[in-house]
Amino acid sequence: MAEAAERKRILVVEDEDNIAVALDYLMTREGYEQSRIATGAGAVDLIRQTRPDLVLLDVMLPEVSGYEICQNVRLDPALSGVKILMMTARGSAMERRKGLAMGADGFISKPFELKALRAEVRRILAGEPAVTTSDAPGEARHA
Amino acid sequence: MLDRLSLRLRILLFFAALALGAVLAIVAGLWVALRHEGAATVPPALVSGGLIAAFLVVGLVTWVWFLFDQNVARAIESLASAIRARVHAGIEHDLVAEARAARYLGDLAPAAAAVTRTLVETRNALAESVARETTRLAAEKSRLETLLADVPVAVLLCTADHQLAFYNGQAVDILGGGTAPGLDRNLLDYLRAGPIRHAYDRLAGAGDPDLASDLLCATATGGRLLAGRMRVLRRREEGIAPGYVLTLRDVTADIAAHTSREALLAEVFDRVRRPAANLQTVIGVLAELQDAQDAPDLSAAMLDEVGALTQAITELGARYDAAQSDWRPLVATRSADLLDGLKGRLQAEGLSLETEGPELILQVDGFEIVAFWAWLACRLAEQGTARAFRLVLAEEDGPGAVMRLCWDGAPLSVGRLDGWLIEPLGAATGELSARAVLKTHATEAWPEQVGGRSAVVMPIRSARRAGRRPPPIARKVVYDFDLLSKARNAAVADTRLDDLTFVVFDTETTGLSPATDEIVQIAGVRLVNGKRVETEVFDTLVNPGRPIPPSSTDVHGINDSMVVGAPDIVEAGRRFHKFAEGAVLVAHNAPFDMEFLRRKEAALGVAFDHPILDTVLLSAVVYGQTEQHSLDALTARLGITIPEEARHTAIGDTVATADAFLKLVPMLRARGLDTFGAVVAEVRKHGRLLKDLNG
Repeated sequence: MAEAAERKRILVVEDEDNIAVALDYLMTREGYEQSRIATGAGAVDLIRQTRPDLVLLDVMLPEVSGYEICQNVRLDPALSGVKILMMTARGSAMERRKGLAMGADGFISKPFELKALRAEVRRILAGEPAVTTSDAPGEARHA
Repeated sequence: MLDRLSLRLRILLFFAALALGAVLAIVAGLWVALRHEGAATVPPALVSGGLIAAFLVVGLVTWVWFLFDQNVARAIESLASAIRARVHAGIEHDLVAEARAARYLGDLAPAAAAVTRTLVETRNALAESVARETTRLAAEKSRLETLLADVPVAVLLCTADHQLAFYNGQAVDILGGGTAPGLDRNLLDYLRAGPIRHAYDRLAGAGDPDLASDLLCATATGGRLLAGRMRVLRRREEGIAPGYVLTLRDVTADIAAHTSREALLAEVFDRVRRPAANLQTVIGVLAELQDAQDAPDLSAAMLDEVGALTQAITELGARYDAAQSDWRPLVATRSADLLDGLKGRLQAEGLSLETEGPELILQVDGFEIVAFWAWLACRLAEQGTARAFRLVLAEEDGPGAVMRLCWDGAPLSVGRLDGWLIEPLGAATGELSARAVLKTHATEAWPEQVGGRSAVVMPIRSARRAGRRPPPIARKVVYDFDLLSKARNAAVADTRLDDLTFVVFDTETTGLSPATDEIVQIAGVRLVNGKRVETEVFDTLVNPGRPIPPSSTDVHGINDSMVVGAPDIVEAGRRFHKFAEGAVLVAHNAPFDMEFLRRKEAALGVAFDHPILDTVLLSAVVYGQTEQHSLDALTARLGITIPEEARHTAIGDTVATADAFLKLVPMLRARGLDTFGAVVAEVRKHGRLLKDLNG
């Protein structure tokens, strides 16, 4: 568990309610301060307003894709401190490459093991580089 | 009788008769005058006068003959010879000397000169026209051969009984799993008979030359699956069933990829269905419990099933991604050719393109990739973003490469690019969308900023560095259309030599004793329809399984190190047996080579029971037993040169023997030995000679 003084803020951009609820529980239990937006359209504005430490960003969103949100965040120098972990239900090598090329700090494929997600969130928040590029289930990939 | 004498001689005889007649007339005149005068003796003055008159008459006739001979008879003969020479010997220059000689013959010489000049002109025009037409036909034939050699499917032309009369290079690739195909060989030696026979019988029965039949067949060894189309030729000659054209394409890889995808799909359902069903049950039970803590084993079961589901989906998804591009007909494409095509497309649109990067071989659909980048550049130009582009190709770690279309100007947002990707690429590509191109190549595209420039990136999954561009493969079509109308006789003995297929062969050995020595090299060539088929050659070293004595190496140049890795006699012998199937075997001193082969029949599991001809004996039939019949002597007599470097190599001696055999055949035919049976009967008279050579 993280200490209250270190509570990091995480924004979940996810249109599927079930997984959003699960992520809410998980992140809260991990001691993070969690919020959620269900569409891509207002996501960048919300990020600008709230300046979360980490965005858990789904790729397949209605209206605006996760790639586009990621690119817009990276184009805004004021948001350079915001980390992004992209999530997708497909997870082909080329999609990962595209996500990382758009500026994501990590990329995780659904379904993922909670242990892997926790580890990836911790790694990104700690500013550590990725340690592996294996194809294990749910494992995060990094360029 | 006089007709057979020459003109000059006839005229000479005519004038001689005239002179004789004149003399006789003088004598007769004098005799009548004396009788009239009643003189008892001939006055000397009258005798002198008669003699003078006779001499004068003979002299006059001789002079006239001389002038006639010189200016008429000789001139006519000279003119006639000159005309004949121009007619038969092809001499072309004008009748100058002959016309001068015939100047007293009025218009005859100028008329003859005009006739011969016209003849020469007509002949030259005809020859020129024939030469032009021959050149045109040769060029057309060559173009047709090139075309058929390059078509990307195997093309075969067969007789009704499935003997090959034509095949191209692709047919060699497809059918050549064991023994390469050859003219007058049976197609059913290479393909399973069922589909071929069935299609032929159906088409031949229908009798419609426009009818074609699609078929799927396997190679005889079952290694490859081929999709093809058969069309029966129009009947050319009565009594001979029409042949057919067969085109074949190797679909083994297509079928394998399809089968693999089907298997993957089946596995997806199998592996996902079970944990999903289990999960539903576990969660259902869990929901009915008040406190999940009361059922720790259910929680464990749920996590276990979720884990299985996750693992299955992840693994299967990765395999699906990997298999995605296997299904597509992607071909190895040189990046230089690809970029050149793209440059042309953009130039046509008024856009400029520079390219950079190493020359790579990309596994892509070249047409789609060019269409994709051309479309993107046009789209960017339409937006006013850029009109000048640079396409950078870079290798990646691993098997892939990256293509980047760069420009100086505003970057493209990923949202806009993703929006464009669903558009069709243009009228020329129908409904094909940019997204479909990416899907075909199992890749993605996204915008980037590279060194201050904007770019769109597309990774290519499979690429390798190109070597030196290989020289074009000398693919040849091999054919002999006479085979289509060749009468086939069941009995070899009654078959004309020209209608038989021969395999001329030679072996090199570790020594001269078939009982203790072994073969180290076998070479053979095929003769079909009286011609050597240059592309159908058998030539292999054989590992004798024992050291090769230096004395033998001195003869044929084959040493122990050369046969390391060569097939043993069992494999090489079987392959040679297959190569010689259905042919008459020909060798120089055949008993020697045959003894080496026949001694191995049990190990090979085949019998060398072919009809056999021996060029030693054929030479004896043609030149008599007293001549030398060594290969050197025979080839020297027939004007065949064996290059020094080829002498005593199996292939060199084989080609020399084959060429000698081809020259011996017409000489045998001139002796009335037209059929195989007739030749063998004659050869048997010379058996003693061969015994001597082998002794």
